[in-house]
Amino acid sequence: MTAQTVQQGDLVTVIGLEVHVQLETDTKIFCGCSTEQTDEPNENVCPVCLGLPGALPVLNEAAVEAAVKIGKAIDADIPEETRFHRKNYYYPDLPKNFQITQYDEPICADGDLEVAVEGDRRTVTIERAHLEEDPGSLQHVGGGGGIDSADYTRVDYNRAGTPLMEIVTAPDFRSPSEVRAFLAELEEVLEYLGVFDAERDGSLRIDANLSIIPEAEIESGDVTDIGADALAAANRTEVKNISSHKGAEKALAYEETRQKNAIQRGRAVEQETRHWDESRGITVSMRSKEEEKDYRYFEEADLPPLRVSGWKEEIAIPELPSARRERFQAEYGLNEEAASKLTSTKQVADFYEDVAGEFDPDLAATWVADNLLGELNYRDMDIVELEGRLEEVTRLVELVAEDEITAKNAHETVLRGMLDDGEAPDEIVEEEGLGKTDEDEVQQAVVEAIDENPDAVDDYESGDDGAINFLVGQVMQKTGGSADPGDVNQLLRAELEQ
Amino acid sequence: MSENIYITEERIDGADDGPLAGTTVAVKDNISTEGVRTTCGSRMLEEYVPPYDATVVKRLKDAGAIVVGKANMDEFGMGTTNETSYFGSVDNPAAPGHVPGGSSGGSAAAVAAGEADVALGTDTGGSIRCPAAFCGVVGIKPTYGLVSRYGLVAYGNSLEQIGPFANNVEDAAALLDVIAGSDERDATTRAEGDDATYAAAATGDVDGLTIGVPTELLEGADEGVVDTFWDAIADLEDRGAEYHEVSLPSVEHAVEAYYVIAMSEASSNLARFDGVRYGHSADAEGNWNETFAQTRKEGFGDEVKRRILLGTYALSAGYHDKYYKKAQDARAWVKQDFDEALSEADVLASPTMPVPPFELGESLDDPLQMYLADANTVPVNLADLPAISVPAGETDGLPVGLQLVGPAFGEERLIRAASALA
Ligand SMILES: [Zn+2]
Repeated sequence: MTAQTVQQGDLVTVIGLEVHVQLETDTKIFCGCSTEQTDEPNENVCPVCLGLPGALPVLNEAAVEAAVKIGKAIDADIPEETRFHRKNYYYPDLPKNFQITQYDEPICADGDLEVAVEGDRRTVTIERAHLEEDPGSLQHVGGGGGIDSADYTRVDYNRAGTPLMEIVTAPDFRSPSEVRAFLAELEEVLEYLGVFDAERDGSLRIDANLSIIPEAEIESGDVTDIGADALAAANRTEVKNISSHKGAEKALAYEETRQKNAIQRGRAVEQETRHWDESRGITVSMRSKEEEKDYRYFEEADLPPLRVSGWKEEIAIPELPSARRERFQAEYGLNEEAASKLTSTKQVADFYEDVAGEFDPDLAATWVADNLLGELNYRDMDIVELEGRLEEVTRLVELVAEDEITAKNAHETVLRGMLDDGEAPDEIVEEEGLGKTDEDEVQQAVVEAIDENPDAVDDYESGDDGAINFLVGQVMQKTGGSADPGDVNQLLRAELEQ
Repeated sequence: MSENIYITEERIDGADDGPLAGTTVAVKDNISTEGVRTTCGSRMLEEYVPPYDATVVKRLKDAGAIVVGKANMDEFGMGTTNETSYFGSVDNPAAPGHVPGGSSGGSAAAVAAGEADVALGTDTGGSIRCPAAFCGVVGIKPTYGLVSRYGLVAYGNSLEQIGPFANNVEDAAALLDVIAGSDERDATTRAEGDDATYAAAATGDVDGLTIGVPTELLEGADEGVVDTFWDAIADLEDRGAEYHEVSLPSVEHAVEAYYVIAMSEASSNLARFDGVRYGHSADAEGNWNETFAQTRKEGFGDEVKRRILLGTYALSAGYHDKYYKKAQDARAWVKQDFDEALSEADVLASPTMPVPPFELGESLDDPLQMYLADANTVPVNLADLPAISVPAGETDGLPVGLQLVGPAFGEERLIRAASALA
């Protein structure tokens, strides 16, 4: 491309992703070692995952089942038979100096995932998703602490052999925010399937390819349909070391700006691999103009092909977020926004259904979607942190539903106290004296307020309806806020009419 | 013991009783033995002590066998004469001054010299049958998938099997009874042979047996070897067998195909020897790339380096289709040819080796000549089939072996036929 002729605003960003997700299985993909994370290095290892001479891999079918679930969720083609290949390269975290992966017969091909991007629903094509083994991990020690500057490097093979799924998308993204939305949706789907744990360190690793294409070079004139020629003509960078959907958006926004600036200044964009430095918030060049690596793929003869025809039908998957969202709207009469919020994670949706089953679904929606998620979000907390305490939240909703405390107190005093101090709702109600006062007490306060404020009564009687608010305030003060302001209003009017 | 049969002479006791109680076994030094070093005949693993037993070793121990030593071998199984061993060559007890064959030379020599009752070897392209023929003993290469490879240090993992050596077919079959059978640690093992009883099949009954003789496997063979072979066939005829000629046209590509596949696999299988976790580690300064390169330079011998380089080349982009893929196609043709030939005969027979044992030192300088000596054995590995080598007689005082090849999991049939000769 002739960069000089390009004007601002003419440029289209094109992004494709390779997402590595660790699958949640009890044992590793080719041996019986536990996948649990341990504090000590090299604890969950055996001859197979250490690559000792003579050890052989045996496929853990639970990993294949998890992969088939993903395939089903993204509506991918699952072959009759799936097989493994060796990807040959030397690296000290790779025990055999080859990685067992899939090449020409991935377990999933040609799927898609629907994503909501700024209100629109978009479909992202997933070209393939395949199974492979995770390498170990390296720790650079001493010196500058970096890969080139450390005094020495330690290798930990605990992670080696953890099942990974590599999910490869088409270059379907046109902005970093689309990438973030996709990754959030993908994580949600994987969690719904019960094959992924987002909390786990290193469970999500993303490589992204980003290139900038002048709109004028898109023959179709449609930015969602960029021809292969235009794509091939542009230099792209591969950004590595991204580990979250928020990180992906930041890294790609940085990279998008960097490339656009280069083009607008008439400089060529190098085809290269760049490393996302999360702490500095920039991408740095890892190596440029490196030739395409030759991994010398060939069949892994130690693992016979596995017949998986029929697995797609046999393996059940739970209701997915998009289906659940629609059902929430139909079954509970929620609007789309509330339904989206309530299906944002499996835990939230499950909790909502628990509460909505016992109380009014609208009340449940207000409490879970607005009050609870709002307060959690404000505290940068996740619902999983309330594990074991969700019954307390249910009890709080019950107190409101049974009219035992006011909605205002329930939200502002009880819920916040529960989150900040870890107390149970009944304790807070007791301590703060929030229990709704009985009717006699309120009636007593109404009579007193009228007696003590003849001016306000005069104003009311001469047609100043606003005076009633002053009287309500007086009653609320006398009852310590535990009366319902609506009820007080009615009682006052009834008393004044007499 | 002047033959240099063992790399490590160490006794490993088995269970008090069992089918092999009291039987002494030599174990090729590429089969892992817990607590006893397993060198693969290489400097790379000179001090490597496995923390686990190979499945076959576990089965030996359970059967009451006594392992008496780790037998010498060509480095990582790469050789036909046992002369590529870092620990020195082995003299042939049956033909002193000659090689014992390879790569399981120490195992065959141990049996021939009476150092062990039986032995385990491994066969990737003839590495059991060649030394059996050269040392005048019996050796069986089982069907791919009959014997677990768990614990066998891989050379060409799609081709190789562990198998027995003995002085007679019945003893070899009894050892096969112990080691054969599916294993959950080796996904390529199959259940087909689980109910077989091999020793019981050594009846020597060949009445009505039809033998196919592939003409291609006699072409170019040493005259004395061919004469000895026909004498043995005549012996079988006398006992009621009949023979006819068959053709295996694809075998002319077998040696090339075999070496491309075996070397390609070796280039990947031997990649793990980088000095990080076990084995030789060079005392090199510099970064990891330099250190592991130096480790491999020091740890591997010439033949191993040659095969790793050629295998890496054969798998490389741009050459993969020309070499590796073509070799896989050839492998499929060879399988097909064997299937056809075995549809017209119960077993196929040929000389095991086209030549009698080389003199020590004779063949070291010409790898290509050595590779061609494998012409009769490698097709069997390409076809995943079982084969047995039995002593057929001698030529000029040197042992000659006869090879019988059977259908997949047809070991009982091979044992029945071969036991007529030894
Ligand atoms: Zn393991």
